[in-house]
Amino acid sequence: MKGIWKIARWELMRNLTNKQFIIGLFITPLIMALFAGVPLLLDKLNHPALSTYYVMDELGVLPGLQSIVPENITFQAFDDPESIAETVKETKSSGYLILDQNFVNTGQIDVIYNDRSMETMTALRGALTAVLQQLRLSSSQISPEQVAFVTAPAQVREVAIEEELEPQTMHMIVSSVFTILVFFLIFTSGTMLMQSALQEKRDRMAEVVLSSVTPRQLMQGKILGHFFLGLIQLGFWIALGLPIARYLWDFSVLEALQAVQLPTILFFGLGGYLLFSALFIGLGATMEDLQSASNSQGLVIMLPMLAFLFLGPTFSNPDGTVAVFASIFPFTSPVIMMLRGGLTRVPLWQTLSSGTLLLITALVLMQLAAKLFRVGMLMYGKNASFKEVVKWLRYKEN
Amino acid sequence: MDGLQVRGIRKVYGSAAVVDNVSFEAPQGRILGVLGPNGAGKTTIIRMIMGITAPDQGEVFFTNGGVKTNGVPFSTIGYLPEERGLYKEAKVMSILLFLAGLKDIPKTVAKERALAQLRKFGLEDYAYKKVEQLSKGMAQKVQFIAAVLHEPKFVVLDEPFSGLDPVSQDLFKAEIRALANSGATVLLSSHQMNMVEALCDEIFLIHKGKKVVSGNLEDIKERFGNFRVDLLTRAPQEPFLNTQMVAQAEQLGGERFRYTLKDGVQPLEFVQALPSNLEIRELSVSRPSLHDIFVNIAQGGVSDEGYMENSTLGAYA
Repeated sequence: MKGIWKIARWELMRNLTNKQFIIGLFITPLIMALFAGVPLLLDKLNHPALSTYYVMDELGVLPGLQSIVPENITFQAFDDPESIAETVKETKSSGYLILDQNFVNTGQIDVIYNDRSMETMTALRGALTAVLQQLRLSSSQISPEQVAFVTAPAQVREVAIEEELEPQTMHMIVSSVFTILVFFLIFTSGTMLMQSALQEKRDRMAEVVLSSVTPRQLMQGKILGHFFLGLIQLGFWIALGLPIARYLWDFSVLEALQAVQLPTILFFGLGGYLLFSALFIGLGATMEDLQSASNSQGLVIMLPMLAFLFLGPTFSNPDGTVAVFASIFPFTSPVIMMLRGGLTRVPLWQTLSSGTLLLITALVLMQLAAKLFRVGMLMYGKNASFKEVVKWLRYKEN
Repeated sequence: MDGLQVRGIRKVYGSAAVVDNVSFEAPQGRILGVLGPNGAGKTTIIRMIMGITAPDQGEVFFTNGGVKTNGVPFSTIGYLPEERGLYKEAKVMSILLFLAGLKDIPKTVAKERALAQLRKFGLEDYAYKKVEQLSKGMAQKVQFIAAVLHEPKFVVLDEPFSGLDPVSQDLFKAEIRALANSGATVLLSSHQMNMVEALCDEIFLIHKGKKVVSGNLEDIKERFGNFRVDLLTRAPQEPFLNTQMVAQAEQLGGERFRYTLKDGVQPLEFVQALPSNLEIRELSVSRPSLHDIFVNIAQGGVSDEGYMENSTLGAYA
């Protein structure tokens, strides 16, 4: 046990004094913020595109039409059919349309455009439909009140059968945040572990270290060290992000933590870390360097990404078959179970079976990784083939 | 007896026995040279002694201060592997302290010893430099220091001289001798036969996973290094050949001949048996060096114990 701690401490110190690690500590949240912020920014930039349409209004409905289109669409009354096209071109407006009796009779109308955007077209189509319906109804002697009454959309309210089922925004947000954090911990620590195993081989230190500790101790020490390293990273990011989040949204941390089932989150976070760290360190032991990773090795590296595929389906239907499967399947469950926990009330049997399966898989993978590690750490100069890996897994341990 | 005992270890990879029934002893205070051509199984033997890989059969014992243990305890091992390096981005001192820490040496003691050792190797200015700034030879010295910093009772040095300049080689030689004198068991593997001859007390020669020869260096030469007589003559174009005494005769060029004597034949007997009318211009008697014995083995002229009798002729042809 002492050996494990010494290795863990060395891994920790080695990384904490490493420039790259420290830079990464600051760069990563920056990148995350960038990824979250850029789409928002782009959306903002895109939004205020103003469209002006010239309208020949023979029906007297322009004020009504103007009141039901989005603010970025404006109408300009015009009454000369000869020069309307020229005017649009000269003023570089979006286009023009003619509202006449023909529109009421046939329902057909041409929107002659100069520039065209999907969004304005959809808005125009909706608004013109509403105007058309009102025109036709009012011509059949029905009062405006009745028209409004008839054309009013249904108002749907979602009410959960039990109060507990009601989606709590806080609950959802906190769960999502934890999901992202755990995913990040797994992915960054996993790759760092793999690199640590590779580095031990590259620097030809494995054999010397193995004259002081057993391969298993070396492996466990590395996993432990990188776990603490991951926690330090997470802690740093949370400390950095929390004040900003509180400034933006104003919430109580205590309340947020109470909103989620912390033990479940901790269990799945830890289980996921163990599972993927075993996978990555075992993988690292079979490789010479990252560049020469074979296709099958590349696939294993991508495994944590598998959970990404299930994020959408889980969000849109957290109790659906896909979500339930993904929250039990051990390679996706750490992330998806946490997410589901925030979106719905997960039945106990699912949590238990998922947790058990995760634990068993993690332990089995840990055993297999130890076998790969034992042989792989002493192999220099080449990537292990799939056949070799299978052979190593069959070696009995002393 | 204090020291290392290896009994009948065997390791099979796939269907081939890489090491087959190897036994030897390395007493305390002695330097044992483990020799053999590439692929003979040296590294596998070393790894089995270190406990890095487990033998399929056989046992390794280590006795220290009269206490016998199964395998060699980590704390008593000092290891300089053939495939060696240092963490590139780390500082020399922090690596030394980390490795000494793994051997349970307190930090203050380790630091003191590390500085003393670095000074001895002329590296005191590099204690707090990064490994990247070291030359290859310097790095090798640091690796050596790392292997002996905890004052191990059992030291394994796999090709310790490779890549060293002559001055550093002598420094290493002296340090290795000092280790043995201080009571450590030293197991040394090298291809540099002159180093082995100069340094080792005992030799263990293996080929294809099996023991070929072992024992005291002088005894081995006695047993396997049959006398050679080189003659420079004037007269006979035909080489003189006394089949009762000579195992092999060869013309080295011109009128220079080399005779390898059979087992047990003394040079004097051979010289006395030379024809009295032979005009000798030069005559020298020598024994094959360890180098020759090694080359002979590496070229496959070996069958268990009695390799010389069976194969010398073939191997020199």
